[in-house]
Amino acid sequence: MRTTARFPMYVGALIAAVTLAIAWEGTTVAAQQRAAAPAAKAPRTPWGAPDLQGIWNTNTAVPFERPREYGTRAMMTEAEHAKALAELQERNQRPGRDSRTVGGQPGIGTEKDVARAYNEFWFGDKPTRLSYRTSMIINPEDGRMPAYTPEAARRIADKRDFLAALLQGTSGGRPGPVSPRRAERSPDYNLDRINRADGPEDRGGPERCLGDNLPVTMGTGTFGGVMQLVQSPDSVSIYYDVGQGQGFAWVIPITNRPHLPKSLQLYHGDAIARWEGDTLMVDVTNFSDETNFRGSRENLHLIQRFRRVDANTLQMEITAEDPTTWTAPWMAVQELERADEKTTLVLEGGCHEGNYGLLGMLLNTRAAEKAFAEGTGPDPATQDNATGGGGDN
Amino acid sequence: MRTRFGVSALAVGIIGALCAAFFAVIAGQVSSPRPVAAQSSAPPITRQANGKPDFSGIWQANNTANWDLVTHEAMPARVMQTGVQGLSPVPAAPMLALGAVGGVPPGVGVVEGDVIPYKPEALQKKQDNFEHWLDRDPEIRCYQPGVPRAMYMPYPFQILHGTNKIMMVFEYANAQRTIHLDQVEPYPNDSWMGHSVGRWDGDTLVVDVTSQIDKTWFDRAGDFHSDALHVVERYRMLSRDAIWYAATIEDPNVFTRPWTIAMPLYRRLEPNAQLMDYRCIEMVEELLYGHLRKQPLVRTWEGQTMTVSVERKVPPPDVLYER
Repeated sequence: MRTTARFPMYVGALIAAVTLAIAWEGTTVAAQQRAAAPAAKAPRTPWGAPDLQGIWNTNTAVPFERPREYGTRAMMTEAEHAKALAELQERNQRPGRDSRTVGGQPGIGTEKDVARAYNEFWFGDKPTRLSYRTSMIINPEDGRMPAYTPEAARRIADKRDFLAALLQGTSGGRPGPVSPRRAERSPDYNLDRINRADGPEDRGGPERCLGDNLPVTMGTGTFGGVMQLVQSPDSVSIYYDVGQGQGFAWVIPITNRPHLPKSLQLYHGDAIARWEGDTLMVDVTNFSDETNFRGSRENLHLIQRFRRVDANTLQMEITAEDPTTWTAPWMAVQELERADEKTTLVLEGGCHEGNYGLLGMLLNTRAAEKAFAEGTGPDPATQDNATGGGGDN
Repeated sequence: MRTRFGVSALAVGIIGALCAAFFAVIAGQVSSPRPVAAQSSAPPITRQANGKPDFSGIWQANNTANWDLVTHEAMPARVMQTGVQGLSPVPAAPMLALGAVGGVPPGVGVVEGDVIPYKPEALQKKQDNFEHWLDRDPEIRCYQPGVPRAMYMPYPFQILHGTNKIMMVFEYANAQRTIHLDQVEPYPNDSWMGHSVGRWDGDTLVVDVTSQIDKTWFDRAGDFHSDALHVVERYRMLSRDAIWYAATIEDPNVFTRPWTIAMPLYRRLEPNAQLMDYRCIEMVEELLYGHLRKQPLVRTWEGQTMTVSVERKVPPPDVLYER
């Protein structure tokens, strides 16, 4: 979901991730050392299995991909950590989105400002801790996503060109006339926010409440998300409350059965788990071409490992491969913190049931087309309804 | 069976009550199952380390409660229109091409006494819901079904009986609910699947369900409730492979007294039983948003014997946003 995030509320998080490396969390060096020690006293369920249950989230920032300055070093030095933490705290003090400018001028009231939709209030809950990890990705050793295969690079570039063409001539796109490509179909099963609203398929996955993508890494702050894990002897269930109501339940059977036939495509894939010592190893295949994790679609093969590092830490390890998308497999690690189960309720999403946004976007676009036809409004094709406003800073 | 007669709501009510009284005899005592578990040959139920029954597994009701909680005859279609005689209505246009597949299967009721004790004005609304089923049933729009409806929809669901919490995940719409066996804060608002808190009464799990939104229904017959809904569920193992499920429904805005439904939930015994996706959000996009497309997509369907025509309408804003 984060890869397709064109929602305004993600824009802030993405900017933060890119510029200040704060969007994801990790752990301290001390916790990392604990992780390396044998977990002799891993908590057990009443039926004797390793106990992963609880409500888990995080307020510790760590970027998904490593800023290049760290090279192949997975951990910061004390001095680097102190400097990065100071930057994070300084960033938290800034007025943020409400003070952004557009074209060097105050942005308040501009089309871009309105398109951003969410003011600073919605981003009020900032991460307070910073991991010593320089990135969640630990393999490849530069901590960055492996290169796309030529085939994947081509399809991703095709889509980028299509998105850019439909923004041409708007405040969010390059200068030029309205592109004739507005009449074309999307080159892929669209999950991006297209600058067009001919029908629901033009709107982004999250806008259609189809943003429940695996794998989930937790963000920090207001939109960071939380997960609730419940175990029975033969299954594990995770409820992810992520992305403003995109919440979904993922049931993972612990079983020896083989995967479903390759022809069967499931949105959350076909998950099969087994215990590797105290670690739950989940193998997921049979994804659908309607999913998109960082460019990977139906050929994603995901292995997720969950283990209890200590009483208050759950470690998630993600190994992903897709030879039709990436030139190499990659691996990421994230540590989650245990929330107080008495006071932390994981709330129901209800995105689809309350989806007035999609209804309003289509209705409004039809109204704008009518106004344009009657000479009382601008051509909707010249308006930016896709970038979420962006901004100069 | 009610629309078959095409008469006034009053007459429908009287006939309905007569039918209900008749079928109540057939339906018998819905809350008194035979004690299957007592048979010596039956394997013992699965229990947790603390001695309590373990409800984990994939389960499914096998009845017609989702069509109508009370006893009902077969109908040619849920939506009918007047036929050539007053007593012979025919399936309405949206159902017609479906033939026998679009009919309503008959079934004995799951309501104790086979009558839902509506207040008079609420009964009127239920009848109105029945008449406007296609426009109103939240199931048609892929909305989360609420409790108890989620428990007897025609889809499997999985119970994960954890240490302090029980999670239920439903194949329909990927709906889910958590039953808190531990102490938690009250739910801060209303929700589609409610807030569930469980406790043990001997071997029976008793679940108190509150904080439900007023937009869910009980079945495809228009049975409804308000946001004052309070449901108390009772789960009891009948055998290793069956749960006796009962739910007492209380809503002083709609009903004159609490009433109870009860039914078995059966374990899905297939060795390869598993939940799959019924991710219906995308399936209903054309239904929900098709009338707002720039170029209308679904207008007619052509078969060998029939053309079905679809005329899309944009309802007035209050209806548009409230549906």
